[in-house]
Amino acid sequence: MNLYAYIFRRLLYVIPVLLGVCLIIFVLFNLVAPDPAYTLLGKHATLKQIAELHHELGMDKPYFMQYLDTVKTAFTFDFGYSWSSKQNIWEMIKTGAGPSLAITGPLFVFSNIIAISLALLVAFYRGKLIDKFVLILSIAGMSIPSLAVVLFGQYFFAYKLGWFEISGYEFGFPNFIPYVILPIILYIVISFGADTRFYRTVILDEAYQDYVRTARSKGLSELKVMFKHVLKNSMIPILTNIIIQIPSLILGLLFAESFFSIPGLGAMTINAINNSDFPVIKAMTIMSAVGFILFGVLTDVLYTVVDPRMKLN
Amino acid sequence: MSTEIKQSKSLLHNALLRIVSEKISLAALIIVGIYFLVAILTGAGLLASDWGKEIGASYMAPSSISYFGTDIFGRSVLLKTLKATETAVVIGLVVSVIAIVIGTTLGMIAGYFGGFIDEIIVWFYTTFSSIPNIMLLVAIAFILGKGTTTIFLSLGLTSWVGLCRIVRAEVMKHKEREYIHAANAIGASHLRKLWSHLLPNISHLLIINFTQTFDSAIKAEVVLSFLGLGVVGRPSWGTMIDDSKLELARGVWWQLAAATLAMFLIVLAFNILGDALRDALDPKLKGK
Amino acid sequence: MKLRNILLSVMSASLLIFSGCTKKQNPNEKILNLISVTEIKGYDPIQADDLYSGREISKIYEGLLQYHWLKMPYELVPNLAAEMPTISKDGITYTFKLRQGVKFQDDIAFPGGKGREMEASDFVYSIKRMADSRNQSTGWWTLDGKLKGLNEWRDKNSKLAVSNYDEEVEGLKAIDKYTLQFKLAKTFPQFIYTLAMPFAYAVPKEVVAKYGKEFINHPVGTGPYVLPIFDQGKKITYTKNPTFREKFYPSDASPELKHLLGDAGKRLPLVDKVVVYVMKESQPAWLKLNKGEVDYYSVPKDNFASAVKDNKLSDELTAKGFILEIAPQLDVTYTAFNFENKLFHNKKLRQAMYMAYDEGKANTLFYNNTAFPAQSIIPPGIAGINPNYKNPFKGPKLEEAKKLLAEAGYPGGIGLPELKYDIPDSTTSRQMGEYFQKQMEQIGVKIKILSSPWPEFQAKVKKKSVEIYGLAWGADYPDAENFLQLFYGPNKSPGANGSNYDEPGFNKEFEVATQMQDSPERTAKYEKMNKFLAEEVVALFGVHRQAYIMEQGWLRNYHPTDLHHDAVQYLNIDTAKKAELIKKF
Repeated sequence: MNLYAYIFRRLLYVIPVLLGVCLIIFVLFNLVAPDPAYTLLGKHATLKQIAELHHELGMDKPYFMQYLDTVKTAFTFDFGYSWSSKQNIWEMIKTGAGPSLAITGPLFVFSNIIAISLALLVAFYRGKLIDKFVLILSIAGMSIPSLAVVLFGQYFFAYKLGWFEISGYEFGFPNFIPYVILPIILYIVISFGADTRFYRTVILDEAYQDYVRTARSKGLSELKVMFKHVLKNSMIPILTNIIIQIPSLILGLLFAESFFSIPGLGAMTINAINNSDFPVIKAMTIMSAVGFILFGVLTDVLYTVVDPRMKLN
Repeated sequence: MSTEIKQSKSLLHNALLRIVSEKISLAALIIVGIYFLVAILTGAGLLASDWGKEIGASYMAPSSISYFGTDIFGRSVLLKTLKATETAVVIGLVVSVIAIVIGTTLGMIAGYFGGFIDEIIVWFYTTFSSIPNIMLLVAIAFILGKGTTTIFLSLGLTSWVGLCRIVRAEVMKHKEREYIHAANAIGASHLRKLWSHLLPNISHLLIINFTQTFDSAIKAEVVLSFLGLGVVGRPSWGTMIDDSKLELARGVWWQLAAATLAMFLIVLAFNILGDALRDALDPKLKGK
Repeated sequence: MKLRNILLSVMSASLLIFSGCTKKQNPNEKILNLISVTEIKGYDPIQADDLYSGREISKIYEGLLQYHWLKMPYELVPNLAAEMPTISKDGITYTFKLRQGVKFQDDIAFPGGKGREMEASDFVYSIKRMADSRNQSTGWWTLDGKLKGLNEWRDKNSKLAVSNYDEEVEGLKAIDKYTLQFKLAKTFPQFIYTLAMPFAYAVPKEVVAKYGKEFINHPVGTGPYVLPIFDQGKKITYTKNPTFREKFYPSDASPELKHLLGDAGKRLPLVDKVVVYVMKESQPAWLKLNKGEVDYYSVPKDNFASAVKDNKLSDELTAKGFILEIAPQLDVTYTAFNFENKLFHNKKLRQAMYMAYDEGKANTLFYNNTAFPAQSIIPPGIAGINPNYKNPFKGPKLEEAKKLLAEAGYPGGIGLPELKYDIPDSTTSRQMGEYFQKQMEQIGVKIKILSSPWPEFQAKVKKKSVEIYGLAWGADYPDAENFLQLFYGPNKSPGANGSNYDEPGFNKEFEVATQMQDSPERTAKYEKMNKFLAEEVVALFGVHRQAYIMEQGWLRNYHPTDLHHDAVQYLNIDTAKKAELIKKF
């Protein structure tokens, strides 16, 4: 089967999924969620004002039209205005993306490098003491509640020791750097466990394949086997795991951003949740859903391109 | 056909034997056992039933009177931590059961019937899993209002997709096996084939999944508490951690420490147990 | 190999990280550094329903009247008005003479980019903007039913495709360029207070037309500071408005504020630049204050014990030159009943619950014992409160509470259903809820706590689907009417009377009192009504809070208040002292 036809079909499948996402969003936020009017109008609202507001927000339109509006939003990215800040949501997303990427970008790079290097190391020394040690360390890392890591890290390293900025953010490079170091370190601590364990498994899976044994029996050195065969062949699952992380980079770090007062998309989402700011919640949901779906397609396509064993179906 | 079932039973038996024979996984099993015991005892009112009583001044540091100090109202942090074990275990159990029931049912139906039904279910979970969990959690909490039911449902409803995928794939494989063909030959009904032939053969997947869901449910409770959607009126590790975000400024670290430690141990134990189970039950899946 | 490239880029990135550094401010420049504890919701005066947005907006926009900076209790003085209004004998017509030569700040929305002169018609426009239903102003309640013909204008225009601002409204007229006239629908002496609120600030229509929905990010007023564009960041920098009119620091003061007359007669504003940091979390903000990077901030609850003892700052803080300012706030906290629920019509039940509640202990736990116990709804500092009055039903009087509960028909709480107590979902609210639960348990009243996010909590109150709930009310203006209206029947939910209390006798008294001009008779009436609410125990009145603000030794002219949104123009920095004190940090 033709690769382009496959990609085209795979992309076509995005449409029903996106329509489904819109349906869920519509049901959750237009049908069953509580009425926002009381919050928007302040402490002295009257019934008449509430009715006027419903009209302004299009809440008195037929449900089908409201659903169509949601669908339109998903395809045009025209999210309208926030209820609580009254700002244009697309502008808010553009402003917030910078600070979020300032944390998630370096975090993405560092955490993957650390995890992959550790995984290679322990795969090389598999079964030895260091392998066990790293394995236990990663399982322990996976077991600490992330909120506790953030709370304790901020308290100890920023308040007590004063090594880092406690919170805040300044726009522009390199001004933001002092503010993002601590959150990045804390999130490496939070994420390295799961990542390392995953990569270790992937690499070990490959290390026990027949062809690796053959290579070894031919007298190739272990280091050569590791890099030339094992790493090369486990690159596919590693790469897909990396690619699938990308859409969540844009979502930002929900808790770290609000703890460290970083005006990114994560903090924006938490704020929107706290204020029942539905247009912003909807926008972030649609954005991340579109991201997940598209990058899902990308990994599938990548798999088929790189790995000839995969069937196109 | 019965040999397959027997095989799966002995697989479970072997798995248990392997776990008990390995020191680390045995320790994990014991820790989990202790937590469940604590949960049962506090639930029955035999332990920590007077957690609400003031035993001293507000924010007393750990001492011989109270090993983990006191909270804002002068209540023992130790007793609160114990009582919160019950909350955590109940949340872990109920959420896992909800997730497993939904995931298994949908996964088996999709894998077994295939065709259009399969496509609908795949569409449904693809759609569902495209939406970040946190948004779903919040939306469900908005609709149902606050309370323990909300936590059960919102966490349960957001944790079934992974299992559903695996079950579907596994059932598809098994469908072509001889024992199902044999069942077809004697004219067994769909329900019978699903319930008494296929289910036992995928049950190990459910057990592995249970340990994961239990873990993530306990962790998710902390997140919900941070968002103000947590348990009210009884202690939970999540609300204790949430409390400590203000208390740390006064140098009150003991609530954070107690709740984190309690949580860390059981999550760690379940992680180790999950790994051991996976290695024992499904050698092909190891580590994934 | 790909991995090597990644490694290289990581290494160069980490090098950059460690070469980054932060800039320091020049100590000789007069810069105020302040904190805002909530996000700024844009710069549209008609949406300024929270204190913090109001404070930012007031740096740029101004209204007809303002509160005298150095007079307490609050006293209205003219701002953009040249003098206080002349009020007709029947209390219906208010005529304002405007200050001449006041210019809007320069902006490209004006011809040639030069701000034009502010006129009476600008107020007519700005107030119609607040009344326009399309704008969904949160300030509409200040005008609803107050001005002749304005409600009709609103209704008519909500049906048109575009609102017609040219149509005249009887109650709102520009008589000439500098004369503005209001006609009230009925007498309402509190009306002039609403003209000092940010909702009624003067907005130029050219700017609104030019920026449309983005107007909220392009503030252009007549005020002391300018902000070219609001980028929604966490750091907002204002600079002195070069075209600001001649306005001077006041030369008279109430006795207790006489010490702030050092800059009397100087031209405002006194500092060149104002930097506002948006910081929601109290710990980072407190630390910033302690590092000398902010000029004042309230002492956070959880740092109180280490910073303040017997209403004095610790020696360590005093040595660094810090000064503690304590001022009562115009607010009240209370636990409200929903009177739609017949259960709460049982007066003895309410009284019993009040007597069981130990306010003193709550004060210690939640306010570090800094708040005043509230006897009724009106806070100290405004006319209508008798300072010697003690509510006979205020707890803790456990034995009497138990007796009253039995008389109410629920001995030991038997027969009383579990009561639902609604709280917003913050950590402190949850702790307060737990405290209330424990207090009620003492007499056998069972409480179930329900927590919701703030918006949903509000919606529940407005939809009357609550039983008991806790909240605080801060004054919109310094008049007892603003507090007594919380129990005025026609203000029921979704209005401000979230208790849905509706007592014909009280309603009547309220109507009479609010028609009266300020006078000893009216104060006596307010006092009587306040006492009535207290003894009926229409709510469990909690505390009136006090502000504990720690300021830097170099900050001048500051005193904490609730209603002076425009305080910043009066503040000054002693640069010599700052240079000297900053060495100690």
